[in-house]
Amino acid sequence: MAREFQRGHKARISDLTAGTDLYVGVQISGPGLSFDISCFGLDADERLSDDRYFIFFNQPASPEESLQLLGAQAGDTESFRVTLERIPPQIQKLSFTATLDGAGQMSQIGPGYLRIVAGGEEVARYSFDGSEFSTERAVMLGDFYVKDVWRFAAVGQGFDGGLEALLRNFGGEVLEEEEPEAPAPQAPEAAPAFAPPAFAPPPAPAPQPAQTQQAPPAPAQHIPQAPAPQQTPQGYVPPQAPHTPAPHPHAGHQGPPPPPHPTPVHAAPTMAAPLAPPAPQPGAQVPPPPPPPGPYGQPPVQHHGPPPGYGYPPPAPGGFPGQQPGPYGQPQPVAGQGGTPGVAAAFQKYREVPTGSRWTQQNSQLVRVDLGADAQPVLARQGSMVLYQGKVDFGYKGAGFAGRITGNATGQELSLMRCTGSGQVFLAENEANLHPVELQGDALCVSAENVLAFDETLAYEVRRIDGHGIPGGALFTMQFQGTGTVVVKTRGTPVVLPVTPTTFADSNAIVAWSAAAQVIVSSQVRMRRNAYPGHSGEGVNLQFRGAPGNFVVVQPYEI
Amino acid sequence: MNQQLAGFAPTPVAARMENHGHSMVKVAMQSGYDLYARTGSMVAYEGFVQYEPNPPAVRQIAGQWITGEGTPLMKCTGDGLLYLADYGADVVAIDLGGDSLSVNGTNLLAFDAQLDWGVERVKGLAKFAGQGLWNVRVGGQGWVALTSRGTPIVVDCGRGEDETYVDPDALIAWSPHLKVKGKRSFKASSMIGRGSGEAYQMAFSGEGIVVVQPSEDSTDRLRVRG
Repeated sequence: MAREFQRGHKARISDLTAGTDLYVGVQISGPGLSFDISCFGLDADERLSDDRYFIFFNQPASPEESLQLLGAQAGDTESFRVTLERIPPQIQKLSFTATLDGAGQMSQIGPGYLRIVAGGEEVARYSFDGSEFSTERAVMLGDFYVKDVWRFAAVGQGFDGGLEALLRNFGGEVLEEEEPEAPAPQAPEAAPAFAPPAFAPPPAPAPQPAQTQQAPPAPAQHIPQAPAPQQTPQGYVPPQAPHTPAPHPHAGHQGPPPPPHPTPVHAAPTMAAPLAPPAPQPGAQVPPPPPPPGPYGQPPVQHHGPPPGYGYPPPAPGGFPGQQPGPYGQPQPVAGQGGTPGVAAAFQKYREVPTGSRWTQQNSQLVRVDLGADAQPVLARQGSMVLYQGKVDFGYKGAGFAGRITGNATGQELSLMRCTGSGQVFLAENEANLHPVELQGDALCVSAENVLAFDETLAYEVRRIDGHGIPGGALFTMQFQGTGTVVVKTRGTPVVLPVTPTTFADSNAIVAWSAAAQVIVSSQVRMRRNAYPGHSGEGVNLQFRGAPGNFVVVQPYEI
Repeated sequence: MNQQLAGFAPTPVAARMENHGHSMVKVAMQSGYDLYARTGSMVAYEGFVQYEPNPPAVRQIAGQWITGEGTPLMKCTGDGLLYLADYGADVVAIDLGGDSLSVNGTNLLAFDAQLDWGVERVKGLAKFAGQGLWNVRVGGQGWVALTSRGTPIVVDCGRGEDETYVDPDALIAWSPHLKVKGKRSFKASSMIGRGSGEAYQMAFSGEGIVVVQPSEDSTDRLRVRG
């Protein structure tokens, strides 16, 4: 089960997997963009003191081969093999980076990820997309670093300056002498000189049908570079040879560096693998990396060979004797379940999402709060707990704060419970959609019946909005302020409207609004009323006024 | 008009049970491979499918259910495509593949007749039986369809050192080898659980999974039907 990381999350690798022979895959792509993905082995001062540990397309392995570049495979734009226990002690940190080659900026990239696969199972995934970046041209995606033990951190930070800035960050002067200096200006002039036009088909070294995002958008002059080193007349296999930087170090980025072994070799194990993922073999020189699972954290799906069709029964591989395919099909392993039948596999897509943060949305209707993260109690609506693990105490929290007023005035009572202790509590109510809102000093007004849970650290007060025609005589809202999280629940997908001079909302459908907006009750009962037989049913509206930047949240459901 | 609706046409059959959207399951029926489904859960079928309410086999296995009103299961036989749903609840179709699962009766939509199954009452929870908490244990090679009010979540029970506590109203299914006991967190000042003020949870311990739904609504909609 893959653990989802977000920018800034850290974890011990031993918590993710017991293995130390890891596969690290990076997928990054963008229309018309091309990337260099490399790994920097840094010393304790975060400097690249030994440039033999700069693993990139031109230097695909470190001297003792604890770090190896494997090329594009299984949906990953680039992949590495990292054998943690063989990494020499002076290397304290591995930084996986992606740099843009050619024009563009990181905000243009599509969804991508960095993932760690051990023993054929994806154990960690850090997903990102262009919205997390702006004008960066080089990003550090993730780090492995030693702090007592090896750990992993999802970084997601970049530099506007591209590879150059990245190199400077890692101790520039060493690099600028030894390594490809100032790569960007050199690429264009060198590229035409070396490009053997015969090798136009870019995907030659890695014939993988799954990698659609990889090849096509490459600018033309780069394409030939990828296969070139492999096919050069010298005849030696370049990957192993630590030859001096090629004249155009920056050009071969798009096509994977010549993979030491043709990918079809481990196409075969991948097909057979799903039932029993092969254990990593430390002895082999470049063992076939364990088949990385497909996207979405499901068990491995074959990327090689014809994709298992969803539209028809997959050709039974002789495994179902005595069952003729009936006219309407019959029990067969479905492709999405990757051949590991059983309850655990079948439920894979509904797995708990583990991250280290305090509030984690599990799916659109479930939220998990980790009370152990910092020992702050959480107040939640009574009855909203569906499951908990650990030592959690649920105390009755009197309705005193709002109940006195709300309860008496409207008959609706918001009764809360206080969750204390250490453990994880899963909260949900009546399949309402949940939205954790993190407040950092700002204030939010939430209609009382749309509050599911909130951190006790937040200051809250009850505000009463009077108005003729509001059911119960008044609308009660809770205003939250401070630092913490409020979980707001809505029926259906809400709409978030910016506050303009003419923003109105139904008092029954309003969910929340930013506290700086001013609320006015506007009753639409003017002269018009007589113009209609009966009335429109939309009696009382709330009008909002506020500076730009304020917003209103409305749900498609009127209480 | 056809074109706009064409997106909802059934996909070709790839498995015994498949989701059609979130809240409908399509079962590929074949004679010789019968199916037990909740009475009243059929929304459509295509082909030659016959329904037998109150099948004798069920009466034998599930004598406890029978309270004079018949069993909540019907047996479906024949060849064709059968569509089942439960008032818009999410449906999860799973291939047991030799494993077994205990399913809250309310959340069981259908299962293959060749599975090993039985009705059991959870020890120590007899007091909840009044609200219809019986559960069905199914195992073997075949498919089961569960319903869930909202997207379910699956939690590894063995992860924490402590037990996993579940609101019985939100519980869908669990691994049958887990140890189950009822727990009352009943203090003078504590009140959780819905409505009654009686706070109880089910405590699971051991290695396995627990499936819960994001809703405490456990009313049996199908049973209400005639």
